[in-house]
Amino acid sequence: MQRKLLQKIGLLGITMILILALAGCARDDEKSMEEVNYRLKWLFNISVVGDLYAHDSGLFAKNGLKVTVKPGGPEKDAIKELELGHAQFGVASADQVIRAVSKGAPIVVIAQLFQINPLHWIYRPDKTPLKTPQDLKGKTIGITHGGNDETIMRALLAKYDIRESEVKLFSVRYDYTPFYQGKVDLWPLYRNAQAPIIGAKLQKAGERFALMDPSKLGIRFVANSVVTTRKMLEERPETVKKFTRALLQGWQEVLKPANEQKAIDTVLKYNKETPEEIVRQQLPATRILMMPTPDFEFGKIDSAAWRQTEEIMLAQKLIPVPVFVEKLLKPVGEK
Amino acid sequence: MLHRRVYQFLIIYFTGLAALMLMKYSLHLSDYTIPGVTEIWTTCRRYFALYLMAVLNTLCVAILGHLLSICMATIVGIIGRLTIWIGSFIRVAAYNIQAYPIVAVAPIIFILLGDGLSSRLLIAAMICYFPLLLSFIGILSEPVKEIEHFFESTRRMNWGLQVKIRAFENIHKLITVIVGSATLAMVGTIVAEFIAANAGIGYSIRIALYQSDLAKILVALFLIGICTSIYLVFLEWLGWFIKKRFGTI
Repeated sequence: MQRKLLQKIGLLGITMILILALAGCARDDEKSMEEVNYRLKWLFNISVVGDLYAHDSGLFAKNGLKVTVKPGGPEKDAIKELELGHAQFGVASADQVIRAVSKGAPIVVIAQLFQINPLHWIYRPDKTPLKTPQDLKGKTIGITHGGNDETIMRALLAKYDIRESEVKLFSVRYDYTPFYQGKVDLWPLYRNAQAPIIGAKLQKAGERFALMDPSKLGIRFVANSVVTTRKMLEERPETVKKFTRALLQGWQEVLKPANEQKAIDTVLKYNKETPEEIVRQQLPATRILMMPTPDFEFGKIDSAAWRQTEEIMLAQKLIPVPVFVEKLLKPVGEK
Repeated sequence: MLHRRVYQFLIIYFTGLAALMLMKYSLHLSDYTIPGVTEIWTTCRRYFALYLMAVLNTLCVAILGHLLSICMATIVGIIGRLTIWIGSFIRVAAYNIQAYPIVAVAPIIFILLGDGLSSRLLIAAMICYFPLLLSFIGILSEPVKEIEHFFESTRRMNWGLQVKIRAFENIHKLITVIVGSATLAMVGTIVAEFIAANAGIGYSIRIALYQSDLAKILVALFLIGICTSIYLVFLEWLGWFIKKRFGTI
């Protein structure tokens, strides 16, 4: 009886030692990982699928990084979080970056996510045929005052010598009712995330839709890019390299047509509100914007587009003096 | 009274601003994260007139919304004081409507009323009417037995007289809650402008947020604070005048 009791105590002791040893190993593994925070620009949706995939598939971990991917939102600003030290990497739009640098923010761009700005204008070609930019004259065009779309539209109008008095600019917000009611001819939206949803509604109502892409009309205004601080790049270059490598690999892999289901599952894991069929339509649209050709090197920084973005902002007096944008571009992940 | 309200506000505002500056200079933050004093001053000079007009626009809507909410609370309070089924139904409906977040109800309001003045007014009224309603229902449901008994025994009591007696006997409480809800009217209007309108300081703040321009927001906050203080002082004066007029002070 006593022997059996001793055996049980011994067994229990060995089990506990093993558990503690394993836990200790796990802690050692975790300790050896470098922890960084990555603040996205927007909520978890198709536009961040590569970021989430790099995390979930263990690409960051393979590079010795423990990355906390934090969703963005309208009130969150990755650049401010970088400066305050709450995040080490973030996603910001080019106009945000240029504006921040013009006010002394010490940040650099390490990769460009969207090669084509996803901001397009949806319209009904049957009611509003747009063959040339001059056809915009007399139309009611939706813009978000203070937003990117206002800057892009004003640049477009200026490029084609269309005076503001020749169009009617309509202030938009999240409610699409004025567009559905036909009060507004062109409505700004994100081609990959919103166009499949709004387009489906129009099609259901028996209406055709088309998208106006400003980049095809010569306005190449850069959208989301990955940023970090200059200090981070100088003091922890290896961490920046490892992060960028893992991130770009994640994007490159998840956008491959062969990995379609993996991409959809990743989005649905974090965003249960969007139906799978919508995500399935959003994915190819995202692929076109991020990898215009199948062999495209993901994350490539388009210096010419950045220069044009700066010129547009200067012309519209959104920044007082040039920031010489080339100095900010540090493509650590490019081959 | 006015100068006291204003300098109290100025103490609060500049204490907050000093805390921001302390953070900026101790952490060596750029003007993008927290603007410097020079930038705030430049922005103030450049946008003061524009933002002042926007704040006055907002204040006008807030005053109208406040009046609307007082009317709504009075009507709901009068019906809600009844002990019959309709009274209970109105009370429950009023509480339930308040439980919905305004951002969720806003799209329905825009579909029904568009995105102009009427939507701003309604949203402002919806945000500030609840504290009013709670007090109004409480006050109007509470009998003033010693006075009401006389009118009931002489069979001269009607609903209008009952409401008047209860309101008059609780005039101090009513005025306090009306003054207190004025700030909510201002907040409600700014929220409405933020999510719906094309005018007012809420709309200007939305644009400033898109441009990550904290200097503009600080200027807007300054003007909102000053204008709200002036409105509160006016309401306090009005309350004092009413009390004096009815001989309760």
